[in-house]
Amino acid sequence: MLVRSFAERETKALYKRNMLGWLWSLLKPLTTVAVYSLVFGVIYRAAAPSTANGQAEVFALYLFSGLVVWNVFYAIVNGSMRWMDGVSDLRKKIFFPTETALIGGAAATLLQSSLEALVLVIIMGAMANLSWTLVFLPVAMVLAAMFALGLGFAAAIVNARYRDIQHLTAILLSVGFFMVPIVYTPDIVPDRAYGLPVARIVELNPLNAIIAVARDAVYFLETPEVADLAIACAWAISVFAAGLAFFRRRSMAISEEP
Amino acid sequence: MSDPARVQAPAVEVSEVSKRFRLELNRPTSVKEAMLRLGRRDVRHLWALRDISLTIDGGAFFGLVGHNGSGKSTLLRLMAGIHRPTTGSITARGRLSALLELGSGFHPELTGRENVFLNGAMLGLGRQQMAAAMDDIIEFSGVGDQIDAPVKIYSSGMYMRLGFSVAVNVEPEILLVDEVIAVGDEEFQQRCLHHMEKLRSGGTTIVLVSHDAALVRRLCDRVGWLDGGQLRAVGDPDEVLDSYLRQSSDAGDAQSDLS
Repeated sequence: MLVRSFAERETKALYKRNMLGWLWSLLKPLTTVAVYSLVFGVIYRAAAPSTANGQAEVFALYLFSGLVVWNVFYAIVNGSMRWMDGVSDLRKKIFFPTETALIGGAAATLLQSSLEALVLVIIMGAMANLSWTLVFLPVAMVLAAMFALGLGFAAAIVNARYRDIQHLTAILLSVGFFMVPIVYTPDIVPDRAYGLPVARIVELNPLNAIIAVARDAVYFLETPEVADLAIACAWAISVFAAGLAFFRRRSMAISEEP
Repeated sequence: MSDPARVQAPAVEVSEVSKRFRLELNRPTSVKEAMLRLGRRDVRHLWALRDISLTIDGGAFFGLVGHNGSGKSTLLRLMAGIHRPTTGSITARGRLSALLELGSGFHPELTGRENVFLNGAMLGLGRQQMAAAMDDIIEFSGVGDQIDAPVKIYSSGMYMRLGFSVAVNVEPEILLVDEVIAVGDEEFQQRCLHHMEKLRSGGTTIVLVSHDAALVRRLCDRVGWLDGGQLRAVGDPDEVLDSYLRQSSDAGDAQSDLS
């Protein structure tokens, strides 16, 4: 109930004063797809693996299918700190479980992202590249949301005390984007570079498994590998649970600060 | 008062509660500062309440008096669950509605109506229940058409009236009120007092924090007196208030002697 109120608030705050409304939220991801496709697909001539029906090797779509998941992750980690700040005054005057504000914000983000996912699916449909495996796309998005929220809980608590955490998070997120195979395919990653096991690092990134699930679902149209699903679930659930526990233990102290 | 149906379990039980606040002067607000100031931190602790034990019976109208900084508001916040006691425990039984300060629990960007729903959700009430109470809330607050305007454009009077209106119209089992009614005009104050008396006769437990001894004497059937974070006296309003006022005037005399 409270989660719903906060989710509605977030959605309204974003689009209330905007004539373009929901379409506006598509502009940013679509621009990102266009720019990265230009740089990596056209200029660097990155090759995308072929889709299930073998018709297309469109780098933009390969990119988009990973980006959908990344955007959920990014928006929630970043938003958590903002949602926390948004209710901190309120929380000093009335008791409510503060985590509901973050969960509501994450729910609103998922809703917006589903629009993005819908566009991706429509394009895939136009290219006759659809299958029942599509059902795993929302699964991947929810897993990404849980994983992000777990980290967001922790970031929100720390940021409430040390305001520069949000800048640090922004830097880490922009590094993180290139640590997962979104603008490149996993198979071109070298085993070792500069003495570092690069392929291993990319592979062990929890988001890697989640993005792999999404790509299998919507690009390759294969049933996601059980190993990927298991790893993705394990990370999402454990990080979410740990973040929530930490948040619950610490949020009371923060609302007592003058 | 002797009606057996009204004799209930205690609504609020405060047992051996102490509350310590951590105050840090120039607390670092960034990691950078924290690292620069490593080991040179000025942390102080303030005991806002010490060893308070208090039972408020169901259906009682309980008054809390005391000077500024005596811990009244802290105690009310602890009852409301906003703060947690450092030691001891507080139990409140029943749906608790609190009106702690001006426009408490409103989000400035949302409209009055949206805030009513948000507040309701915080009290555990569903949308339908709040929708049912909406007309009463708007009517009582006198906010009128402005209910659909964001509360940030409200005057302080409107803020407070809507806040009070929500707090009393959600059928609370326990109502905590902190001084706020003093803000409204005479007419609204009277309506608030009238409404609180009505709630009270409906079985709601009310805890009122106030400086106004006359008001407390008129409304409350039990009074607690907080002084410097400690409970000086609790009991019959006349007795407690008389000694509170005597002490206040003594302190006042002492102060005017000094000046």
